[in-house]
Amino acid sequence: MVCSIVVNGVSVRFDSARILDGVEFKVEKGEILGILGPNGSGKTTLLRCIARSVKPVSGRIAVFGRPIEEYTNEEYSKMVSAMLPNWPNGFSMKAYEIVLMGCRNRSKGLWWEGREEMKTAEEALRLLGALDLSDRDFDTLSSGEQRKILIAKSLAQRTEVILLDEPTAYLDLKHKFEVMNLMRSLAKLGKTILVSLHELELASYCDKLLILKGGKIVAAGRPRKVLSEKLLEKVYGIKAYVKWDESLNYPLIIPKNLGGRTVCSEKLISNRSS
Amino acid sequence: MWVDWKQKRLRLVIYLTLLSLFLGLALMISLMIGSYALSPSQVLEALFYPRDPVARNIVLNYRLPRTLLASVTGFVLGVSGGVIQSLTRNPLADPYIAGTASGAALGAAVAFLVPFLPLFAVPFFAFGGGLSAVLLSLLLARKAKAGPIGFILAGIAVGTFCSAVLMILLSLFSQRAHGILSWLYGSFSTSTWTKAKIVVPLSTPAVLYLLAKARDLNLLLFGEEHASQLGIEAERLWKFSLVVSSFAVSVCISFSGIIGFVGLVGPHMVRLIVSSDNRFVLPLGGFTGALMLLLSDILVRSPVNPFGEIPVGAITSMIGVPFFAYLLWRRGEKFGM
Repeated sequence: MVCSIVVNGVSVRFDSARILDGVEFKVEKGEILGILGPNGSGKTTLLRCIARSVKPVSGRIAVFGRPIEEYTNEEYSKMVSAMLPNWPNGFSMKAYEIVLMGCRNRSKGLWWEGREEMKTAEEALRLLGALDLSDRDFDTLSSGEQRKILIAKSLAQRTEVILLDEPTAYLDLKHKFEVMNLMRSLAKLGKTILVSLHELELASYCDKLLILKGGKIVAAGRPRKVLSEKLLEKVYGIKAYVKWDESLNYPLIIPKNLGGRTVCSEKLISNRSS
Repeated sequence: MWVDWKQKRLRLVIYLTLLSLFLGLALMISLMIGSYALSPSQVLEALFYPRDPVARNIVLNYRLPRTLLASVTGFVLGVSGGVIQSLTRNPLADPYIAGTASGAALGAAVAFLVPFLPLFAVPFFAFGGGLSAVLLSLLLARKAKAGPIGFILAGIAVGTFCSAVLMILLSLFSQRAHGILSWLYGSFSTSTWTKAKIVVPLSTPAVLYLLAKARDLNLLLFGEEHASQLGIEAERLWKFSLVVSSFAVSVCISFSGIIGFVGLVGPHMVRLIVSSDNRFVLPLGGFTGALMLLLSDILVRSPVNPFGEIPVGAITSMIGVPFFAYLLWRRGEKFGM
């Protein structure tokens, strides 16, 4: 089996903070790897390393056996597409024009997008169920709608590897499931998908999970194995029951208590100055 | 989306045709107007069937190079303004943001002040000053690693420094300040074929390059990180477009002097009226700039103008500001990139 992505001892530091610390894993072609972990555990940074926007201080990453720094931008854009969260607003472009930007990597025309590119963009929008948004101004869309457009943009790049940073954030319940189902069908077609998630239940759609905490891998493996009561307590610090629905192969996570509610100190809410 | 995609090209063609018609009209008027007024037929005669040697001399040797220089300078400023606004992702940016203008002004001032230097050395000094200011800002910003904002700040620093030195020079050599000041205000009154033959061949390839990159510059709007992931050599494109547009601007203003406002407002007029897609902003902004500058220059030398030769830059602002204010007033909510 060809490994799509091999990450070897990758560490990232911003100033003195260790964001990633010796992360190592492999993803095979046609697999979905879910990356889980609390806020600040390094999920996004890991994806940005593979997307080549963050340079690790040490370690190597290879995509289809070739170190990622050897690709030109154009070659890489045909191999790996990324949906990263910091897409800027404020340029008054239509949603479909954003999706068309994904087609730039294979574009033959210098100036205008061709009919082929329009078809690709249309197909990507259709897969996300976002065709009706295509003529709307991107800036006027809701966060969830923008998310869908940005995922469509990544799909329009037609790459082997797709990196998605919290694609289900801001989406409603139905679209969360639809996006995860879409990933499954893309994986069936041989695409390799790396996805960071906050919804532990949705992680059951993945083939493998990678649990990060403090920039280190604390657990990895199949969702049924990894998602356990012990892990939840260790990683998120919450006590919960994890029950698997056997027919759906979907976990139910029920907290054992609702947590010691944080009590605001008098000082914070008092109007009097002291 | 298909409808919009098809209409886009049509819209561009329509606007381009409209603007080139206007520009053609302005070119004609520009050749007619002056202290020796000519009729359209006289102009055409002078151009194609020379009979009247006086008219031919005026049109060919004075008005044609002046018209050409004014429109090319306007075009370059309009295109560069759009490019620099995209590169810095800042709607307030103009072609001079990297210190081009202050650098060129300082260069010109030095040329005026160095003894025994012929007058034709001024543009070369101005060009050198302008381009070195840009390269210096680029170097500073590279050290700062702060992206577009860092570059803008570096440009402000370099520009301010150049202006300060210029002020000192002006006050030290106040008896020679008039020559420098009149250059600073910008004028096409001394246009010759020699100048046109330098400006046009140098700025044309630069403008063509920038126009060709319009689509990739759209991607660059979303930042180097995203543009790279979409397959653009973003860093190279950023630097190259910056240097190329600053080069073209430096070439133009080293002959015409500092002409403000066109480069800032030309692209915004297109954004407010048509679209903020660079494939519209750059070419249409160029035409708008050319039109603005040519009309201003016509006004400067028209017999209607009671003030004699006043700086063309001032006229540009005089007629440009009300129109721009109107646009802001009516469509202000669309203002931005």
